[in-house]
Amino acid sequence: MTRRNDIEARAAAWLVRRDQPEWGAADDEALKGWLAESDAHKVALWRLEAGWDATARLAATRSVAVERPSLNRLLESRALQALAASLVLICLFAAAVVPEWVRRDQPQPLRRFATTVGEHRAVRLPDGSAVTLNTASTMRAAVDSGRRAVWLDRGEAYFDVAHDARHPFVIHAGDRVVTVLGTRFSVRRDGGMVTVAVVEGRVRVEDAAKGERGRAAVLTAGNVAISRGTSMLLTDRSSARAEAALSWRRGMLTFDRTTLEEAAAEFNRYNRRQIRIADPQAAQIRIGGTFDATDIDAFARLMRAGFGLAVREEADAITINS
Amino acid sequence: MTDDDVLKRWFVADVLPLERDLERYLARHCRARDDVIDLRQEVYEHAVAAARKSLPLNTRPFVLTVARNLLIDRARRAKVVSFEQMADLDELNIPDLVEADRALTARDELRRAMAGLDQLPPRCREVVRLRRVEGLNIRETADRLGVGHHTVERQLTLGLRALANFMLGGNARIERKPGLAPRRKRTP
Repeated sequence: MTRRNDIEARAAAWLVRRDQPEWGAADDEALKGWLAESDAHKVALWRLEAGWDATARLAATRSVAVERPSLNRLLESRALQALAASLVLICLFAAAVVPEWVRRDQPQPLRRFATTVGEHRAVRLPDGSAVTLNTASTMRAAVDSGRRAVWLDRGEAYFDVAHDARHPFVIHAGDRVVTVLGTRFSVRRDGGMVTVAVVEGRVRVEDAAKGERGRAAVLTAGNVAISRGTSMLLTDRSSARAEAALSWRRGMLTFDRTTLEEAAAEFNRYNRRQIRIADPQAAQIRIGGTFDATDIDAFARLMRAGFGLAVREEADAITINS
Repeated sequence: MTDDDVLKRWFVADVLPLERDLERYLARHCRARDDVIDLRQEVYEHAVAAARKSLPLNTRPFVLTVARNLLIDRARRAKVVSFEQMADLDELNIPDLVEADRALTARDELRRAMAGLDQLPPRCREVVRLRRVEGLNIRETADRLGVGHHTVERQLTLGLRALANFMLGGNARIERKPGLAPRRKRTP
């Protein structure tokens, strides 16, 4: 038994005894003494106390049929009759809400999650996996104790998949199927193109139409796979680059020798107000750096100051010209 | 100096809600679940000791910094440290993914407590149920079940611990403590 384990057991024993009718002033002193011994004792007791307090609502599930005799006498007063009535209501409420949650083995219905332009959304799935949906994205999830499957219908999502070797986590993205056991990575769809960037762990990417030549690739940390139709490009970037590709989770866009045209397209995913590049020369200028995804005014100002480009601002668009 | 009542309020209201994020951060650097829990308690201990001098303005970065410093100390004590590991320690930027389900509503809390109760071993569950749902004390429970005072107290202690951890933790199931296993090796 470790020291921590030992302390936690002692803290639990104190909490049990403190609730009992036999608890007296001497016990109180003894507990104070134990707490004063170390901060490890204090945090263990405070922590368990908070967790235990959170179970206090269990009292609301008490069924009226098994009242204790001493309560019968109390129940003669009107106020307490009202209280009892509301207790019955709470029980009915509990009976209504609890079963659907407790029966965890039943297959979960497909749940749909979506974000609008510029929005981010953190979703926690029942298996403990966390998903962050990027701008203008739609995902459906069927996750329960039996299977873990999601469909990325459009947009981009970052996955932090809870490890469960017995139930692979499967992501359907267009004509690609991504299979993982537990890892961190993102999946992005642009029309027919699917990009998978892996931050940690291993991920398998394959054609949704299996068979043929079994086109499957196993990606590890730092790998980025870009696939369209039957072809798949596997690039090996540093982990830092894969992380940079995920800077959108902090609301930032990271560019590295990216053309202005590509950068504008990237900004346009996040904003209703669009950036238009009016001439081909400006479109080929390469830029680098990290930018706030929703602050296109700041980006336009930098283009004007840094490259001497003409910027025309309108209500629904910003047009950039040489 | 911050007095203990204030310290406790801060710990319960501001530090404990970070538990899942903290464990997730620690789990990236040590594999064994037991080590993570040991470290978590060590972080709490250090955080409280530091906060006694003055409460931090922003608890989240404060707690994560304490965690990082502990991990660095631990890495220095270890003989072999990978560069990857050290580099990663500097990255305190943990996405705030669990913000959405952080504040349990009263209804969620009840559901969770019921699910936790359900996962306790049968005898432990009955003792906890009699305490928490029916409001019986240890003596009344012992009379009702026809078992000894000591047995009830031991089961209740195990149950309180498991259920409290379940309410706070990100784990979907109750960790079976050695004492909760049906067949238990007796230590002399």
